[in-house]
Amino acid sequence: MIRSIIKRDGRVVLYDEGKIAAAILKALEAAGEGSAEEAARVANRAAHQIEQACGEEPPQIEQIQDAAERQLMECGHEEAAKRYILYRANRTRIREANTSLMRTIDEITNVDARISDMKRDNANIDGNTAMGSMLQIGTAGAKAYNAAYLLTPEQARAHTGGDIHIHDFDFYSLTTTCTQIDILRLFHGGFSTGHGFLREPNSIASYAALAAIAIQSNQNDQHGGQSIPNFDYGMAEGVAKSFAKLYLRKLQEAIEDVLNSEDEEDLARRAVAAGGKKPQLERDAEDYDAQVAGVLAADGRIDEARALRLVARARQRATRQVDRDTYQAMEGFVHNLNTMHSRAGAQTPFSSINYGTDTSPEGRMVIHNILMAEDAGLGHGETPIFPIHIFKVKEGVNYNEGDPNYDLFKLSMKVSAKRLFPNYVFLDAPFNLQYYKPGHPETEVATMGCRTRVMGNVYDPERQISYSRGNLSFTSINLPRLAIEANHDEKAFYEKLDRMLELVAQQLLDRFEIQAAKRVYNYPFLMGQSVWLDSDQLGPNDEVREVLKHGTLSIGFIGLAETLTALYGHHHGESDEMQQKGLEIVGHMRDFCDAKSQKLKMNFTLLATPAEGLSGRFTRMDQKKYGIIPGVTDREYYTNSFHIPVWYNISAYDKIQKEGPYHALTNAGHISYVELDGDTANNLEAFESVVRCMHDAGVGYGSINHPVDRDPVCGYVGVIGDVCPRCGRRSGEAISPEKLEELRKKYPSVPVFCGCE
Amino acid sequence: MSAMQRQSAVGKDVEFERIRRITGYLVGTMDKWNNAKKAEEHDRVKHGTR
Repeated sequence: MIRSIIKRDGRVVLYDEGKIAAAILKALEAAGEGSAEEAARVANRAAHQIEQACGEEPPQIEQIQDAAERQLMECGHEEAAKRYILYRANRTRIREANTSLMRTIDEITNVDARISDMKRDNANIDGNTAMGSMLQIGTAGAKAYNAAYLLTPEQARAHTGGDIHIHDFDFYSLTTTCTQIDILRLFHGGFSTGHGFLREPNSIASYAALAAIAIQSNQNDQHGGQSIPNFDYGMAEGVAKSFAKLYLRKLQEAIEDVLNSEDEEDLARRAVAAGGKKPQLERDAEDYDAQVAGVLAADGRIDEARALRLVARARQRATRQVDRDTYQAMEGFVHNLNTMHSRAGAQTPFSSINYGTDTSPEGRMVIHNILMAEDAGLGHGETPIFPIHIFKVKEGVNYNEGDPNYDLFKLSMKVSAKRLFPNYVFLDAPFNLQYYKPGHPETEVATMGCRTRVMGNVYDPERQISYSRGNLSFTSINLPRLAIEANHDEKAFYEKLDRMLELVAQQLLDRFEIQAAKRVYNYPFLMGQSVWLDSDQLGPNDEVREVLKHGTLSIGFIGLAETLTALYGHHHGESDEMQQKGLEIVGHMRDFCDAKSQKLKMNFTLLATPAEGLSGRFTRMDQKKYGIIPGVTDREYYTNSFHIPVWYNISAYDKIQKEGPYHALTNAGHISYVELDGDTANNLEAFESVVRCMHDAGVGYGSINHPVDRDPVCGYVGVIGDVCPRCGRRSGEAISPEKLEELRKKYPSVPVFCGCE
Repeated sequence: MSAMQRQSAVGKDVEFERIRRITGYLVGTMDKWNNAKKAEEHDRVKHGTR
């Protein structure tokens, strides 16, 4: 006779056969068979089985469940038994998630981030601060919940087992990845941050300030980065407004210099009004100024020649002033994006700006000054971490000598050779050029700094644009594992790949279902302020499903090089044959995405994954599972997407030639890097030859890495080996204040030590 | 007398900043990189331009 049972936590409680019957009844009902009587009968048989096994000892809960399972089968309820087993497995998963959650929170609370790899998962968060830790605890809780309740058992197994990686998993049930914010549309008529309404800005200073606020506000609605696709076109409007105001003010001042009366302001206004429209930088300057001078002369107090000189001077001063104002606005923008916080104060927003193609005088002024501000760096000359600058390269606009913005392209390379930004997006690459319509900047490919690219649109083929769209979510496949499991069998590899692609596509759709069921009020800025395409047609309580379809669902991959090595013995950097095999694999994945897109009329795209959290996770698991395989699992990380391995010796040009063709296939985004040493980076000719090589090789997006070191003590910026070339100290060593004073006389950039004076 | 003047030396425990690009973003110090990324950065070779 069973009187009591032992629960999992060791507590002993009274035995109740009714509870077993209730659980069995649920399983029977789920299977659509049986009744309460039948449930009682099976429960009774289970109890009998336990009695036989345990005698007078109280049984463990697991034993009871085993018995229930077995009796369900023996009574012919196979389907119900299956349901019962599934239910048990699910409960186990949830229980384990809870235990591991507590352990994780314990680590976040008590372990230094410098020791805890987990706390350095996202390098933008300082896991040692209060807000950073709070964010990480939230993340851990959300992940545990999502894995236990939102994934199917198959998806959960694939994700936790390392077959796939669901990115931004903590936000699984909450929001989407990123957006290209059309800053012009947002500004027109003003916007609200949720804490107050901001009127349409009227000067370049407020354009730049509000651009930073827009990025910050939208960052709170999404888990990925934020980008402005039209930074030059957008800020140009602010420059135009500032110039018009300055022209009037400078004209008034110039009149004041010669007339001593009370009506200069009125006279200046009348004169400018005679121009018929607002004064513009450079354009129609002569005609416009002549008309303005005509009104002044007609007033009778100033002769015509003098009036012309006076207007010319006013224009010159206004031009100089608006240039200075623009520089300050750009400097402020960069400073803002490196200091303002978002997401519970724990992170600066992930921000990117695209520019380079606006050839208007105002646009050119913006591009010139944002580059100069980046060149100058932050307060102590530090290299700004944000925003990512992306220079749009286009033949006929800025690429060749004689193109209107050629000078700015040249300047961008000088800045990038010093500061690592800008990166380059190539509008002439055929897969980008196909969307390009001159005079329609929204058809210029822009990129989210990390690499995300959103252009094609099967949901709405009339709107193949970069503005107001973004990625919804992405999941990456552990390609090397499929190759290892295929055991040199190509056919087996492709079969496994197809299964994995299907699994990921379904998982992306399941996640979309959660995202799409949200309402406009769940995305107060993104949707509420109409940042997202077509969200202006929705009311606050509307579901966002349809408009979200402008976004992309992306399948990513990591470790093509290791995959090829596992399958065939070497990677695509080593032979053209492997290059062919690599292109076949990536092409196969792209075909899958295209077919899915056509079938479902949703934008499935292929991503060359930016693998921050992922780097190392897959490899660690695979080392455990398969041991060390040379060229495959023998390092701590898998190679990024389709990259040639970072450790492989190859020239910059060969690397670009090898990686270029993969850009055409990875329509959700890609980036190629070249590593130059410090001296080459300062050799502008070499730098430019690399950028031009990327352009010609069909690279969509690329950037050049080189060491940028800084000694915070003496302020030296450049390459630092073991010893600082300026002050002679080693990292962490102290130097005397006298020596620092001595250096300050020679180098004014030596920082004043904060907190010391 | 300022705190700095009182100090006989400055810069103790102040490490060099080494800015590197990680998955598209710049990071001001490698302290916050995870182990795999540190290993990847360590393995990077330069690409010649000749």
